[in-house]
Amino acid sequence: MPKLFGTALCGLVLAASLAFAAPVLADDILDRGVGSEWSSLDPHVNFDAAAGWIMMDAYEGLVTFGPTGDIRPGAAESWDASADGKTYTFHLRDGLKWSNGDPLTAQDYLAGFLRTLNPATATEKGYYFYSVIRVKGAKDLAEGTTTDPATLGITAPDARTIVVEMLSPAPHILDIMGAFQAPPLHGPSFAANGAAGFIDPAKVVSNGAYVIKEVVPQSHVYLEANPNYWDAANVKIKKVKYHVTEDVSTELKRYRAGEIDITYDIPLNQTEALLAEIPAEVYLYGSTQVDYYSFNLTKEPFKNIDLRRALSLAIDRETLENKIVKAGAPPVMNYAGGFDPSYDGPSIAEAALTQAERETLAQELYAKAGYGPDNPLQISIATTVAEDVTRRAQGVALMWKKVLGVEATVNASERKAWLDLFYTADWDVFGDNLVGDFAGAETYLAYMRPSAEPGYNWVKPEYDAAMDVAANIPDKPNRNKALAAAEKILLDDYIFAPLSHAPTRHLIKPNVKGFGKSVAGYDNSQFLSFE
Amino acid sequence: MLRFTLKRLIDGAITLAALVTLTFFVMRLAPGGPFSKSRKVSAEVLAIIEKKYHLDEPIPQQFARYVWGLLHLDFGPSTRFRDYDVGALLASGLPYSLTIGFWAVVVATLIGVSLGIAGALRRNSATDYLAGIVGVVGIAIPIFVIGPLFQVIFALKLGWLPVGGWNDGLRSLILPVLVLSLPNIAYISRITRTSMIEVMRENYVRTARAKGLGAARTIRSHALKGALLPVIAYLGPATAAIITGSVLIETIFAVPGIGRHFVDAALNRDYPLVMGVTVVYGGLLIVFNIGTDLMRGYLDPRVRNGG
Repeated sequence: MPKLFGTALCGLVLAASLAFAAPVLADDILDRGVGSEWSSLDPHVNFDAAAGWIMMDAYEGLVTFGPTGDIRPGAAESWDASADGKTYTFHLRDGLKWSNGDPLTAQDYLAGFLRTLNPATATEKGYYFYSVIRVKGAKDLAEGTTTDPATLGITAPDARTIVVEMLSPAPHILDIMGAFQAPPLHGPSFAANGAAGFIDPAKVVSNGAYVIKEVVPQSHVYLEANPNYWDAANVKIKKVKYHVTEDVSTELKRYRAGEIDITYDIPLNQTEALLAEIPAEVYLYGSTQVDYYSFNLTKEPFKNIDLRRALSLAIDRETLENKIVKAGAPPVMNYAGGFDPSYDGPSIAEAALTQAERETLAQELYAKAGYGPDNPLQISIATTVAEDVTRRAQGVALMWKKVLGVEATVNASERKAWLDLFYTADWDVFGDNLVGDFAGAETYLAYMRPSAEPGYNWVKPEYDAAMDVAANIPDKPNRNKALAAAEKILLDDYIFAPLSHAPTRHLIKPNVKGFGKSVAGYDNSQFLSFE
Repeated sequence: MLRFTLKRLIDGAITLAALVTLTFFVMRLAPGGPFSKSRKVSAEVLAIIEKKYHLDEPIPQQFARYVWGLLHLDFGPSTRFRDYDVGALLASGLPYSLTIGFWAVVVATLIGVSLGIAGALRRNSATDYLAGIVGVVGIAIPIFVIGPLFQVIFALKLGWLPVGGWNDGLRSLILPVLVLSLPNIAYISRITRTSMIEVMRENYVRTARAKGLGAARTIRSHALKGALLPVIAYLGPATAAIITGSVLIETIFAVPGIGRHFVDAALNRDYPLVMGVTVVYGGLLIVFNIGTDLMRGYLDPRVRNGG
C-alpha cells in the first residue's frame, strides 16, 4: 500500500512538472521592456521617453521617424516651407482615418496643438511650440494670457492642410512634428470621455499603426495593429506588449527566458560579459543625452577661467568612460555635436593634444590660478545616486586628485533632491546632463543661452548674439555653420566640462529584424518584423 | 470582550491618525518636489500645474484638504502617474499584493506548523533536522538573494516557471509566493517546535494521556490549541509584514502590486501616493494586530481579561 501511494505521488509530481515545463513558445507578440511605469498614456501629457514608444505606436504625427531616426512623411504626405522659413504648410494624405473609422482631418491636428497649449491640460509639452520653435501666439495661450484659439499661428484652412506660422525660421520644426510632440486629438472622444479616453482601452481612439487594447498599471500595455491605419498593409508585427521592467536584472532574466524580445536596458555590470557572450544581441549606441560637469560661476574659485580650464583638461575622458564607468558611453570633448551627422561643430581647443599634454597644461593653469600642494582646491561634486553617475564622479575626483592635487568629494543625493539642489546654487561642481528635444545641435545650444536663464549665471552677450544670428537663418547647412560658431564661444569659456554621451542600451532577440540605431530613440514597432 | 474590541479599535484609529499626520509633514521636509524637472519649466506653467494639485496652498490647508478627502475615501490624484488617482492605483495593485500575501501566509503556516510539530514530536529525527535546515536557510538568506537564485533555477535552467510578470496565471504566482513564504516557514516552524515541546510537558497533556487518550487525539484536541497560541501571536503582525514586505518580491518578480509604489512614490515625491500607500499599509498592520489580539483573547481568556 505505501508503495502504491509512493508511485502515485511520483506520477503526480511528474505530471505537474510536465505541465509547468511547457516550453515558452516563440509567439507572435513583440514583447518590449519600458523600464519604470509610464507616467501617462495621454499623448499630450506624457513626457517619458519610454512611454514615448507606446505613443509612437498608438499615434502618428504629421511626420514620423524611420528606424534610424530619418524623418518620413507621416499623416502628412508632403510639406513646403516659405522662402523666409517662417511658415510651413503640411498636406495630409487622402482618406486618413481614426482607429474607429472616423475621418482624420487637419482640424484634429489643430485640436491637438490647442490642447497641448491649453493651461487646463497642465502639460509641460507646450514649450515645444513656444520655445523649441516659436509659433505665433503659442506663448500667450500656454501662459493663459489669452484663451482665443484664433490668436494661434497654426491654422487648418481645409480638411487636408495645416499651416504653421512662426516668429523666426526653424528648420528643426520637422523634428517636433512627430507623435511624441504633436499628436492629433479626436474631438468627440475627448468631449465624451475627457482624459480617460486615452487610457481606457474600450474608449481609446487613436491614429497610429497600433491601438491600445489592454492597460494594467505596473504591468503592461498591450496593443494590436490598427486596421484603419493608412499603411496597415506594411505593419508586419500585429501584436505588441510593453512590459514594466523596473528591475534591470529581472529584465535580463526575462529576456533570457524568452519573455522579453527587446529590453529597456542592460545591467551595468553585465554589459561586458554580454558583449562577449551574445555580441549580436547587444545594442549600444548614442542617445540625445549629453553628460557634462558644470562649474558654479557664482562661487569665487570658479570665476577664474584658468581653474575651470584646468579642471576640464585634467579629466582623461577615455579612461573615465572605458575603464571606470564602463557603461558604454562614448567620451566627448564637444557639447552639441555628434547627434546630427549634418552638424560639424567644434571641440574644446585642446582636443587635438594628447592627454599627457593636456594634463601638463592643466597643472600650469592650476598653479596660475593660485593653487598648489600647500593650497589645494577643495570642492564637492553633486550627483544622483545612480551607479554609473557616482562611478563617473569618483573617477573624476580621482583624476583631479592625481593630476592637480584637488581634494574633491562626491555628494550623491536622490534625483529629485539633486534637481532642486541645482537651483539653490549651493554646489561647486554639478554632475549635469541634458536630454535634447531632438537629435540636433540647436536644442543643446539654445538651452545654454544666457537669455534662456538655464541657471548657470553665465553672462555672455556675444553668445546670445551669435545664437540670434543662427536663429534667423532658414536653411539648415548655413544655420549649422552659424551654430558651430556659437558653440565655439560657449566651449572657449569652459563653464562646463563636456564628458560623454549617455548610451542607449538594449538587448534584442536575433529574430527581431529592422531595429535601427536611432539617436532620437523613437523605434516604432511598425518598422520591425519577426524572422 | 466587546469593551476589549472597542478599546483596540479606538487605539488603532488614534495610531492611524498619528501616522497620517506624521507622514504628511515629514515627507515635505525632504528636498525636491513632485515637479522638479531637469529643465526649468516657465514659472507660469509651473504655477498652473501646481495649482491643479493644490501645491500652491499653505501646507496646513493642504493637510486639511487631504484629511477631508481621506474621510471620504478620496486619496487624491497621483502626481507621478497622471492617468490615475491614488485610489485607482491602490485598487488596481492591492489584489495582486493581497493574493501573493495570502498564499504566502497559507503556505508558510501549513508547512511551518507541520514541520514544527513533526520536529517536536520526533526530536533529532531526520524531519527535525530538515526543519532546522529550512529554518537556517530561510532566515539567513535574504529575499534578494534567494529570489534571483530561484529565478535562475526554476525559470532559466528548468524552464518550469516564468521569471516574472503576471502573464501566466497560476504559474506566475508560484515563485513569488514560495520566496515570500520561505523566511516565515522558518520562523513558524521554530516557534511551533519550541512551544509544542513545552506544551507536551504540561500537566494537562500528561493528564490527558494518563486517562487513556491516544497520542494523536491528545495532540489534536489538547496540545495543539496551546501550542499554536504563540504562532497566532506571531501570525498577526507577520501577515501584515508579509503583505507589506512584498516590496522586494514585487520588484524582483515584476508583480504589479502596490509594494513597488512604496519606494518609487517616495523617490518621485508623489506625496498623495506615498500617503495612500502608507495609510493602506498602516491600516492593514493595525487591523491584523487587532485581529490577532481578538484571536488570542478568544483562545486565551487571560488576554481579554487584561491578565
